[in-house]
Amino acid sequence: MSQNNAMEQMNKDTTLEQDRQWTETLLNKQSLSQFNLSKTDAPFNYFESFPEKVMSRIENEKRQQKEKRNATLFFLPSFMQPLNRVAIAAAVIIIVGGSFIFLNNSVNKKNAASIVAAPISIQDLSSEEIEAYVDTNEWIAEIDVQSQMNKENTRLSTLDENQIEEIKNTLYK
Amino acid sequence: MSSDQELIIQFQQSINREANFTSLLHKHQQKVYYQIKRMVLDHADADDIAQLVWIKIWNKLDGFKMESEFTTWLFRIAYNETLNYIQKQQKQRNTLTNNDLLDYENATASSDSPKSTEIQIGLDRAISQLPEKQKVVFMLRYYDGFDYEKIATIVGTTIGGAKANYHQAVKKVEGFIKKL
Repeated sequence: MSQNNAMEQMNKDTTLEQDRQWTETLLNKQSLSQFNLSKTDAPFNYFESFPEKVMSRIENEKRQQKEKRNATLFFLPSFMQPLNRVAIAAAVIIIVGGSFIFLNNSVNKKNAASIVAAPISIQDLSSEEIEAYVDTNEWIAEIDVQSQMNKENTRLSTLDENQIEEIKNTLYK
Repeated sequence: MSSDQELIIQFQQSINREANFTSLLHKHQQKVYYQIKRMVLDHADADDIAQLVWIKIWNKLDGFKMESEFTTWLFRIAYNETLNYIQKQQKQRNTLTNNDLLDYENATASSDSPKSTEIQIGLDRAISQLPEKQKVVFMLRYYDGFDYEKIATIVGTTIGGAKANYHQAVKKVEGFIKKL
């Protein structure tokens, strides 16, 4: 195996040597050896400082890429910014939650108001309900009776039973 | 000194990345520089391209699978970067302007005998006017002694193509010198 490789290498070398010889027969060997393009000198100490130059350029490139990434984020619409996204999410939760609570409250109030404001006619009430009302709110009833009597310009003692019944009926109505 | 393979494996394993990369750089920087400079001639251009090549190597070394020799891969990147640079700068050296040639001839004139200088300038000029691929193949074969397989991989052609490029290059240079 290694003999094969050696032979192969020898063939390659021979071919290279043949190529070189052939080239030198056609072209000027001395000129080829002095060909300036092949041995162009680099400035003094160039290769000593080159690795450092490359490494600092790589560092710069890394930094620029980082800045570019940051800049890209900066120029994103404000709502796409990561920090703002949290703030926006919190605001949305507050708004939705607040509106839900507010709307719920106003619905409750509306319901309550409609109960209070619903017109109740005295005719709709049964006499038992009225009597119960008068029993529990006797003083109000007395004021009503009194005001009715004042209206009639009469005194309770002067009234006969019919008149009292009539006032009662008026009050019930 | 560690082999290329060892340095690359350590780099890929994130062990002293910078140190391993710098070792590779120290080891191969001259060859890369000269390969580039043969194509662009100007030191500032060659320096710039060489830096770009090594930055590219840094960025891609993690993905290097060792399917070919590191130097083959390195020279291939250097070759492609140089071609891109030349195309970008529109400095096709195989179509040098008269002023460029004059500068070039002045720069390459040596203290040899007048006849030798004349032949030297002719050779320089002839090689400079070769198409890029032929020029690189000629340089890699004659001066660096690379085998055709490696040259073919670097310039992106077949072994037969590389051989043909070399022979065409020599014939063209010969023809050019004969005209002088």
